[in-house]
Amino acid sequence: MAPHRHGPSAGGHPVTPGGAGGARANGLYPPSSSSSDSKKPNMQVVQADHELFLQAFEKPTQIYRFLRTRNLIAPIFLHRTLTYMSHRNSRKKAKRKSSKVDNLLFRVEKMQGDQEMHGLASNLQLTFTGFFHKSGQPSQDCENEQTSVSLEVLLVKVCHKKRKDVSCPVKQVPAGKKQVPLNPDLTSPSGAGHFGSFPSLLVPSSEFETSNSYTVKSYSLLFRVSAGKRPYGIQNEFYLCCQRYKRRSSPLREDGENTLVAQMTVFDKNRRLQLLDGDYEVSMQELTQQCPLNNMRATWETILDTKHMPPLKAFCDGPTLRFTLRWTSEVCDGSTAPVAKPLATRNSDANRESSGPTDRKPLHAAVKETINSDKVHTRAREHVPAEPRPKLRIFYQFQYNNNSRQQTEARDDLHCPWCTLNCRKLYSLLKHLKLSHPRFVFNYVPHPKGAKIEVSINESYDGSYAGNPQDVHGQPGFAFSRNGPVKRAAVTHVLVCRPKRSKPSLSEFLECEDGERQRLRSYVGGLNRLYFRSDSCVPRPPQEMDVDSEDERDPDWLKEKTAKQIEDFTDVNEGEKEIMKLWNLHVMKHGFIADHQMNEACLLFTELHCAHLVRQNLRRNFLLHLVSMHDFNLVNTRTIDQAMARLEAAAHGDKQPAEEDEAEEEDEWETAEEFQMETDQEPSESEDPNRWQESQSRVLN
Amino acid sequence: APIPPPPVQRWRRRVRSEYMRLRQLKRLKKAEEVKAVFVSNRVKIEKQTSILNGEWSNLRIQSVPLSSSDGPAATKKMCTVESGFPGFKVQAVAMRPLSTVTGIPFMYSWSPLQHNFMVEDETFLHNIPYMGDEVLEQDEAFLEELIDNYDGVHGDREGGFISDEIFKELVEALNQYSDHEDENEEEAATAAPTEKKEAERAIRRSSTEGKIPSDKIFTAIASMFPYKGTMEELKEKYKDLLEPPSLVKLPPLCTPNVDGPFAKSVQREQSLHSFHTLFCRRCFKYDCFLHPFHATPNVYKRKSKEIRMETDPCGADCFLLQKGAKEFVDQNMLRSQRFRKRRRHQLQQQQQRPASASCPGPSGFAEESKDGESDHETTSSSDGNSRCQTPTKLRPVDDEAEQPASCAAEWSGAEESLFRVLHGTYFNNFCSIARLIGTKNCKEVYTFAVKEALIHRVPLEDGGILPQKKKRKHRQAAALLTASALSIPDNSSNQVYNYQPCDHPDHPCDSTCPCVITQNFCEKFCQCEDECQNRFPGCRCKTQCNTKQCPCYLAVRECDPDLCMTCGAAEHWDSKVVSCKNCSIQRGLKKHLLLAPSDVAGWGTFIKEPVQKNEFISEYCGELISQEEADRRGRIYDKYMSSFLFNLNNDFVVDATRKGNKIRFANHSVNPNCYAKVVMVNGDHRIGIFAKRSIMQGEELFFDYRYSQADALKYVGIEREVDMS
Repeated sequence: MAPHRHGPSAGGHPVTPGGAGGARANGLYPPSSSSSDSKKPNMQVVQADHELFLQAFEKPTQIYRFLRTRNLIAPIFLHRTLTYMSHRNSRKKAKRKSSKVDNLLFRVEKMQGDQEMHGLASNLQLTFTGFFHKSGQPSQDCENEQTSVSLEVLLVKVCHKKRKDVSCPVKQVPAGKKQVPLNPDLTSPSGAGHFGSFPSLLVPSSEFETSNSYTVKSYSLLFRVSAGKRPYGIQNEFYLCCQRYKRRSSPLREDGENTLVAQMTVFDKNRRLQLLDGDYEVSMQELTQQCPLNNMRATWETILDTKHMPPLKAFCDGPTLRFTLRWTSEVCDGSTAPVAKPLATRNSDANRESSGPTDRKPLHAAVKETINSDKVHTRAREHVPAEPRPKLRIFYQFQYNNNSRQQTEARDDLHCPWCTLNCRKLYSLLKHLKLSHPRFVFNYVPHPKGAKIEVSINESYDGSYAGNPQDVHGQPGFAFSRNGPVKRAAVTHVLVCRPKRSKPSLSEFLECEDGERQRLRSYVGGLNRLYFRSDSCVPRPPQEMDVDSEDERDPDWLKEKTAKQIEDFTDVNEGEKEIMKLWNLHVMKHGFIADHQMNEACLLFTELHCAHLVRQNLRRNFLLHLVSMHDFNLVNTRTIDQAMARLEAAAHGDKQPAEEDEAEEEDEWETAEEFQMETDQEPSESEDPNRWQESQSRVLN
Repeated sequence: APIPPPPVQRWRRRVRSEYMRLRQLKRLKKAEEVKAVFVSNRVKIEKQTSILNGEWSNLRIQSVPLSSSDGPAATKKMCTVESGFPGFKVQAVAMRPLSTVTGIPFMYSWSPLQHNFMVEDETFLHNIPYMGDEVLEQDEAFLEELIDNYDGVHGDREGGFISDEIFKELVEALNQYSDHEDENEEEAATAAPTEKKEAERAIRRSSTEGKIPSDKIFTAIASMFPYKGTMEELKEKYKDLLEPPSLVKLPPLCTPNVDGPFAKSVQREQSLHSFHTLFCRRCFKYDCFLHPFHATPNVYKRKSKEIRMETDPCGADCFLLQKGAKEFVDQNMLRSQRFRKRRRHQLQQQQQRPASASCPGPSGFAEESKDGESDHETTSSSDGNSRCQTPTKLRPVDDEAEQPASCAAEWSGAEESLFRVLHGTYFNNFCSIARLIGTKNCKEVYTFAVKEALIHRVPLEDGGILPQKKKRKHRQAAALLTASALSIPDNSSNQVYNYQPCDHPDHPCDSTCPCVITQNFCEKFCQCEDECQNRFPGCRCKTQCNTKQCPCYLAVRECDPDLCMTCGAAEHWDSKVVSCKNCSIQRGLKKHLLLAPSDVAGWGTFIKEPVQKNEFISEYCGELISQEEADRRGRIYDKYMSSFLFNLNNDFVVDATRKGNKIRFANHSVNPNCYAKVVMVNGDHRIGIFAKRSIMQGEELFFDYRYSQADALKYVGIEREVDMS
């Protein structure tokens, strides 16, 4: 569906994920031109139309393809962390809430304890249901002579290499031999019912203990089935290799019997238990000369490749051995088997192993898990219309050439066509399209078969740069000439944003009105620009960002101006001018606005300037100023008295060296304040704190 | 010998050469002045630069090393200069390309301001606006029309203009000439004995200062500059020009500095006159930037309860322990009460007289004393000299020599003035007065007061008769007066008028009160009673005052810190967090704004912190200009396509072109995130910019230029004209 000029014209063949033009795969239906009912169109018209189509959608698609690949390599975020993709997140919040660091340790300890218990206290009980071999085995054969095959079970111990050893020492401990029914009819009541009638075998727990001087690295079970004159045989992994190197004169090879072999790991190298209780079906393989497993580094992948039979097919008709595995503490009683919990790491390991000996248990678990999560999500999003599970077809309708033309493509899954992301829900898909691919406009139209999504080019797409402005505006001399750590401009991206989310509903993707579009403001806000100083238009260095030039109420020029204005009076004497200037600067600095602030303003003025007033011999002028303020009904006589007393005190202090005045003065002021605080504090401490706060605020006001 | 040219022509030539010489001198002098200013500015700039450089060096940032980024390829490219002359080598230097710097939008310089600033109308066009290099025809027409709006353009009459100063100097220079010339003439004609000439010259020289030069000079000048008037007129003018220097030296109305050595004993009103007249009761500043005239204190409104009488003696030597002191005090208390009542009456009388109505304060006192004590009026001296009372009181103050030991001590002029000032405030609380005067004890004060009480009936100042007006050089507030007086309120329309404190002591605030007419509330600055019906009562809110529940908010007023005592507007002066959200403009609780190139056009304003809906962002500050001035300026701004004009009310416009704050860069939008609201803030209309919705950090700010919330406010030059028609 996604247009690509150089891509193959026909869709439908599988393409490796990650390759260009991949969206053409995955069940996308080839574009049906213009409208579905059109008759066979002229080839040229189709070509021209396609050209227009490409013109419109090619560029953004290429961009999103590129971004998809980039995000795969270096993800900026994980889709599962998005709210609308939360179903992709397998972790449960409930679990996280209760999690503690201590629990981690506890869990590990418990896990180890479990293993130990398994390793030491439990016996491995194997009950064989039967050996199945359909295709190769003529049924007549089995009827007349072979109703059973002989099975030999060996416990293979791979030990740690010692210094002198060339390769890992391997020990084979025969666990027993049994006759296993061949192709038993499990559907018949006789066959199915008698569990106890099946041959059973017990590997004692002592076998799993460390033996001799060797520490065992891993244990595995080796099943060897020999059926008359048609020997099968295969061995797995390094066991076989070792065998071939070490035990060249193996008797089973020489006698030319047909031997089928399979191996399963019980404890792996890390001493993790790999086989839990359950029913197992093991695919047996013939041990032949062509077996390529002579390579030491053979892995399951290489083995797989050489097999001509796909793994699953092996279970359909290949020779398989079915058995029930049980860990029992006692020899006879099978019911008291310890219930081993699947370990966290188990799943991935099981997947890896599954290609060779495939067990069923993990599969079950996986299915169960998805069901669980589905339940959770349906509960969480009740308002999402339940999607018809079986067949949801999504029609993408591409509108181009000024919406005059359109093409429709459909696909059956909920993968995003641009990033192949499996959204798993229609709501999530739409939300993803809308948010991750803003170069397009998506409109949702309900459709009986599923959904129709109208795709058109977003004409008002804002592709402006939202990164660090310092990088773009490249102030020469800043970015590349740092001398030690330098504060950079802060670039803000809102990472955690919890806007009021409306209940998810598909209706939000319907064609939106203008009012709604307004709501869709970008969430990447912040101070992502280069700012300039308002006075000089010089770029602001980042360390200056917190300084507001407007914080000062009295810019220098205004201070100069008021002084000059007063100086310009011809009929005001120098003393008056001086007081007026000082007072104006004082008022401008502190920004007094209320009449009842004036008493304090006068006292503060006295405190700040008394030394200056004394030095400049402005005492009487100041008194005139105070009286004038009193005439304006702004101060009371008490303030006049206090202010003059303060000035008097400063004047007497002035007899001492005048230089020390100001420091001295400030000290006095401080002590005075402290004193006030102390006196206020003392009685309050014994009483309730509210009183104290009250008194505090009284002092401050 | 060459025949001398006829005297008139000779004089004319002299006038011309002298005039040229003087002009040359003037030019040189001016050039020197400019140079001196330039040099001093340079020094200032260098100082500032070194401070800035110091700051930069502390920032741990290095400058780019030159040519490091160029690489070897760039250095290979050489730039050569060749000259055609032989012997001069071709000069070459490696080319060093500089990296490009992203350009920034254009900006005219402006001055930062956090509060509106009132300026007078400009009747002269300061400069002809630059309209680009090519003068288009329509521009020319526009300029002509523009110049018609003004009285003139700055520097128009430069050529041929003869200023008073030049005229005077010219006459003086020619006067010197004439002596010499006369001499020569006489010498040539009569060859008189030289001794006599010398003597004559000496006499003449000595007398030149006071003597009016000969008519010949004026005739010559008049013929050279016919538009300056006839010979007689010029002569008169010259005589006038000789007069003023003596006057300039001693401004008639200036009271000597009380703290200075020449302090005089003057009346209370005179001592306080400067403080009373210049103090702005609304801004708490002297000669504020916002209010053209300041009401003088409303004396009779003073709270009487505050003046408490100290009945207890202040010490062992207190005057109260003297015989008859208490009686005197009591008697005077009664008298002063009567005195206040009478004064009020007088003030009312005086208001009815148009002449003194403009300046009620200072004249009130003086008139009262004159009229109230009418039986002694005959003794008051009526000549203008009475300011300096008696010669003995003119004696300079000698603080050190003056000892309080002598009880009948000499009172300096300053002390006497201070006593009168304080007596007006403290009345007979002589202990306090003595403490405040500092150099006299209360006994001395008491004795002086007794003496004053007697003197009080004798000669009094009549300084108040002439309405004293504080004058400033080159400044006239008349233009503003007319501007505000011109707006005739129209009750029918929903208009907003500027508030002026009302002052009509003879009647309460009724339909004739200017506040009522302009549909404004009376404010605390009005001279009316506190109980006035037109007063706004303030709010009693205990919440945030940001809903229409709050009467202040409803009336588009900010809470008055002197009226609204419960909402928090009157508290927490030091913190930025106030419970009342309706006092942000007065407190300047603006948000931090940033300047960056706009996403729309030119520069833009960006907000640094996120704000909630309806939160205050910034005040739109600028020059406060009259509507007429705004019309004139707006014409130029419209031509430039960039206007910072913002209509404030029917009388005034805020122009942020020359002075303003960062919000001036906020662009216009029809879908803005901010809105503007004109709010009455303690008697001033101010423009607040508020958030229209919640705004995120870093967003650019927009508001709708045309339709602010106050619908009455119209965009200058567009809607207003429609309104008028």
